[in-house]
Amino acid sequence: MTQPEQKIGIKEYIAIFTMMIGTKIADDTPTFFYNTLYNAAWMAPIINFLAVMIPIYLYIKVMSYYKGQNLADIVILLMGKFFGYAVLLLLWIILSVAIILDTSIYTDIIATTYFPTTAYFFILAILLGVCAYLAKKGLEQIGSVAWSLFLYTEVALFIALGLCIGQGKFTFLFPLFGPGEWDVIKGSVTKGSVYADFIYVLLIAPAVKSFGDFKKGTWISMIIIVVSATMALASYVLLFDYPSVQMMKYPFHESIRFVELVFLRNIETLIFPFWLTAVFVRFSVYLYFSAMLFGKLFRIKDFEYIIPSIATLTIFLGMMLPSPIDSLEHPREFILFVSTPFLFFMPIILFILAKWKGAKNNAVQKEQSK
Amino acid sequence: MKKFARPKYKKKPSDQGSKNEKDEQIPALLFADLQDNMRVFKKTYSYPDNADIVLRKIKVPSLNKEVATLFIKTITDENIVDKEIIKPLTLSTEDKKIDDILTGPSVKKNNQMKDIINAVNQGNTAVIVDGELEAYIVDSSKFASRSVSEPDTEKVVKGPNEGFNEQVMINISLIRKRIRSENLMFETQTVSKRAKNQLYIAYDKGLVNDDLLKKVKSRINQLDVDEIQTLAVLEQYIEDRPQSLFPSILYTVRPDRAVNAIENGFIVLMMDNSPDCLVVPATFWSFFHASEDQYLRVMFGNFTRGLRIIGIFITLFISSIYVALTDFHTEMIPPDLLLAIASTREKVPFPIIVEVLIMELEFELIREAGIRVPAPIGPTIGIVGALILGEAAVQANIVSPIVVIVVALGGLSSFVIGDISLNFSIRIGRYFLIVAAYLFGIYGMTALFIIGLAYMSSLKSFGVPYLAPMTPSYQSSDNTLFRKTQQQAIFRPGYLKPKDMQKKQVKQDDTT
Repeated sequence: MTQPEQKIGIKEYIAIFTMMIGTKIADDTPTFFYNTLYNAAWMAPIINFLAVMIPIYLYIKVMSYYKGQNLADIVILLMGKFFGYAVLLLLWIILSVAIILDTSIYTDIIATTYFPTTAYFFILAILLGVCAYLAKKGLEQIGSVAWSLFLYTEVALFIALGLCIGQGKFTFLFPLFGPGEWDVIKGSVTKGSVYADFIYVLLIAPAVKSFGDFKKGTWISMIIIVVSATMALASYVLLFDYPSVQMMKYPFHESIRFVELVFLRNIETLIFPFWLTAVFVRFSVYLYFSAMLFGKLFRIKDFEYIIPSIATLTIFLGMMLPSPIDSLEHPREFILFVSTPFLFFMPIILFILAKWKGAKNNAVQKEQSK
Repeated sequence: MKKFARPKYKKKPSDQGSKNEKDEQIPALLFADLQDNMRVFKKTYSYPDNADIVLRKIKVPSLNKEVATLFIKTITDENIVDKEIIKPLTLSTEDKKIDDILTGPSVKKNNQMKDIINAVNQGNTAVIVDGELEAYIVDSSKFASRSVSEPDTEKVVKGPNEGFNEQVMINISLIRKRIRSENLMFETQTVSKRAKNQLYIAYDKGLVNDDLLKKVKSRINQLDVDEIQTLAVLEQYIEDRPQSLFPSILYTVRPDRAVNAIENGFIVLMMDNSPDCLVVPATFWSFFHASEDQYLRVMFGNFTRGLRIIGIFITLFISSIYVALTDFHTEMIPPDLLLAIASTREKVPFPIIVEVLIMELEFELIREAGIRVPAPIGPTIGIVGALILGEAAVQANIVSPIVVIVVALGGLSSFVIGDISLNFSIRIGRYFLIVAAYLFGIYGMTALFIIGLAYMSSLKSFGVPYLAPMTPSYQSSDNTLFRKTQQQAIFRPGYLKPKDMQKKQVKQDDTT
């Protein structure tokens, strides 16, 4: 009667992927683009995407040699036990740091924009509590929640962005290339690691019903993300012009405060639940990945059981961070910096190793023998 | 530890032994001598203290034998007993076998004492012949019941108006009337030890998934209960999570809905004394749907579905949104309205949550009282509830008028949800949301909603995911929030894994 445990369909996969990376356009990541690209920041997602296409393609290629195995298995298989575990450990540490920093940043967003008088701890605790509950239920459930609300979240996002664009000034986009063509390309490519979360998505690749769905889902999600990111980055500039956006911590939340919907002067509370949904999905997936990697590293089979512990730890570590979070020196840039090699160089290494080990031949032989 | 544990295990069989002691006093087989048999029956039924037991001895002239008839007159059709048993026996002149003399439509032979008693308890008549080792059991049951009438709940404007009643045979005939197929099965299973209540499991053997059927049967078999009066009680015994807020078995009083379920590969459970049936497995959507959605044209049906979605949304969220907006997100409210709210709240001494909870509770009380109130004083409830409590509460500055509007709107919308189980889930869920809104505004509400959704997506009803076929997706006719036209609804729900997926052939012109 039931389908095999923990398999998700393409719809759920797209919803998870998009909500996981797509929420970045509504936190402090855009600021990071505006700092160097000025009003041309909206081109960054497109150029970025072109740049990360190759590593993503290589990753998918490598994954296709070892169908039914996730990234962790492949890394250990190709790099050997020692290097494999070392890489996984590094990935896990990066992810854990990212979870701690990101949850703090998001708590800061919620606190500063909507609940200025509520204690920081409660917001963080609820955020991680809900995410831990969702993650503990399993990937299938995260997928179900993500997909059931995916369309509404996207509609809400596009309404918000559409309002921003409609109420903005198009002249703010010019000069088209901001700091100069070459600077735009250089600045965009070096910031390709905003898509670095993709590495972790590879952990759940075998959980997608078929490999074809995984491949298709990945590209579809990437396109949705690129389109919405482009629109978002453009709309903030249209609304505020780049010098003001550079000063903003969370341009998305500033702009939805700014725009009006017919007779409603403040629509941010309307958009807020949808944004929150995406945030909950995002961190549940993060927690799930973190537990999965941890389980792989320390050979824990039922890794779902450590999710509550990871969440609790994250709350306390998050509380130890200085508040407000921006007093930390460039937390986001730090994460992006360290995850860059994993996105750009690891697929090349894995691909070469896979070729070298004759994985393709093996795979073909296996299929033929079947 | 072992010493303590042992008597516990021993107790169980001895417990059951005491239950069966009475049975053991009854001899297993029928005696040859009529007097002996009569003595046993008299003792078993405490005849003649037991008022409605009839044990009558008659002489059959043609056979020159004594015959006893045993039946319970309150559940037996005395007409049948008179015309088809007593008269033929006493008037027969030719030398015929008893089988041939009894003219009833169904006559069975049995030599087991227990079976005979059981049959008599079901309203049949036992004919015991002197010198024979087998008794004749004539089908003559007639239980008191009302006739088929329109159900009080799940009303429709367009479509059939028949409802189930308390007699299962009538209910089965209502279903047979709609599915004239040899594949339609009604299996019986005894669900209780002492009262021996019979459960009828209805399904289409050409459609139903065998694993599902096995699962349902095994869950029923696991029951070890003395008596289960009605399906409503059985539902609580066999559902997946008895303590869950969400129902996982569909309860309906409409035969057309039951038939629709059977035709889609679901299993329907029926029982005597229950004017309803249970449909398993159930998904969230089956509670959301009503039978009229299918009878109305697709636009109209989807319009009512749309209204229902809005109704559910308002019932679930309106009070909590009001609390959240006025407590946390006042900037959302247009300034003029905000001032109006503020000025009406000026004189109210309570915090918003108290105000809302007072009104919500009041509404629930009026509603509950409205169900229990004797019909002649029913209108009083309306007057007292609407006029005095609402109006006077505002004038007495206990609640502000906008809260009356908010709560009344929520309460009114809750009537849009036809299914009684879902109705309760949503009405109860609303209180959690109000508290969440009071504590953390929209943030708390969203958090709680996500938790609820995660919980719902992890629920399973007999192995079927609760939100299927929306997520995880299955091949089906996509009858979830909205439905397709009848021509487009080609597939049976895939999550049931029916033996035949396709309900209809795609027309040539449709495929282009």
